[in-house]
Amino acid sequence: MLNSCRKVVESADQLLDGTLPWRQRLSLRLHLLLCNACRRYLRQLRALLRAIPFMHGEASDEEVQRVMAHIQTHPDQHS
Amino acid sequence: MNNDEFARLVREHHRALIGIATPIVGPSEAEEVVQNAWLKAHRSIGQFEGRAQIRTWLGRIVINEARMQRRKRRRESLFSDWLPAEDETEGDIMAERFSPNGHWNTPPMQWNLDTPEALLLREERAECLQKLLDTLPASQRAVLELRDTLELSFEEICNELSISASNAKVLLHRARLKLFRLVDHYEETGEC
Repeated sequence: MLNSCRKVVESADQLLDGTLPWRQRLSLRLHLLLCNACRRYLRQLRALLRAIPFMHGEASDEEVQRVMAHIQTHPDQHS
Repeated sequence: MNNDEFARLVREHHRALIGIATPIVGPSEAEEVVQNAWLKAHRSIGQFEGRAQIRTWLGRIVINEARMQRRKRRRESLFSDWLPAEDETEGDIMAERFSPNGHWNTPPMQWNLDTPEALLLREERAECLQKLLDTLPASQRAVLELRDTLELSFEEICNELSISASNAKVLLHRARLKLFRLVDHYEETGEC
């Protein structure tokens, strides 16, 4: 049974992936009804995961120029 | 696609691709791998059909290049630092946040920034997150990048990295918890 907050944290990845078995999912949902801190944890974890693809930031002008120069000086090297 | 359009792609995705290559080949060779990947992408961009996300398509090219680089360097295992002991010593990352009965001792802070844009809007916090990404063990960083940046399935991740699904899930969980803990700490203290 998922009856502790710690278990919610441990099962959060599976819940968000949709791979948590239905019994555990039901138990976790019941826990969430009663636990504000766990609802907050899951809500904020979702936001964090959505942000990960953007965490690296944009390349600088110099980095972009280096790539474009590499492409222009090696037109046929790779096939 | 003309050069200006391609340069925009480079600007948007280059650092994420470096992030994917780094845990596989190491920081000193990641730049070279990604440069070669861009070269291949430039040659074959016409074949990109738009079924996958562009970053996923680019990421697969980087992974192939990284594998070739490793073969060229005659490295047997994918990760030199990928030892179970590395992760086993970390213990439970959030253990101190819970009481012995498993309930929150120190619940998460209220972040008040539930969108990705808001999360990265403050420069210092975005820098903290980037620094943490750079200090994650290579194994955790690799799984995090493949799952949460490229959105590959666990099956694909296991194939690409030659690890078991259970190992991949543990590594991903630990990496995500570290990121969560960092943002939570930042919200509480204003520091990394």
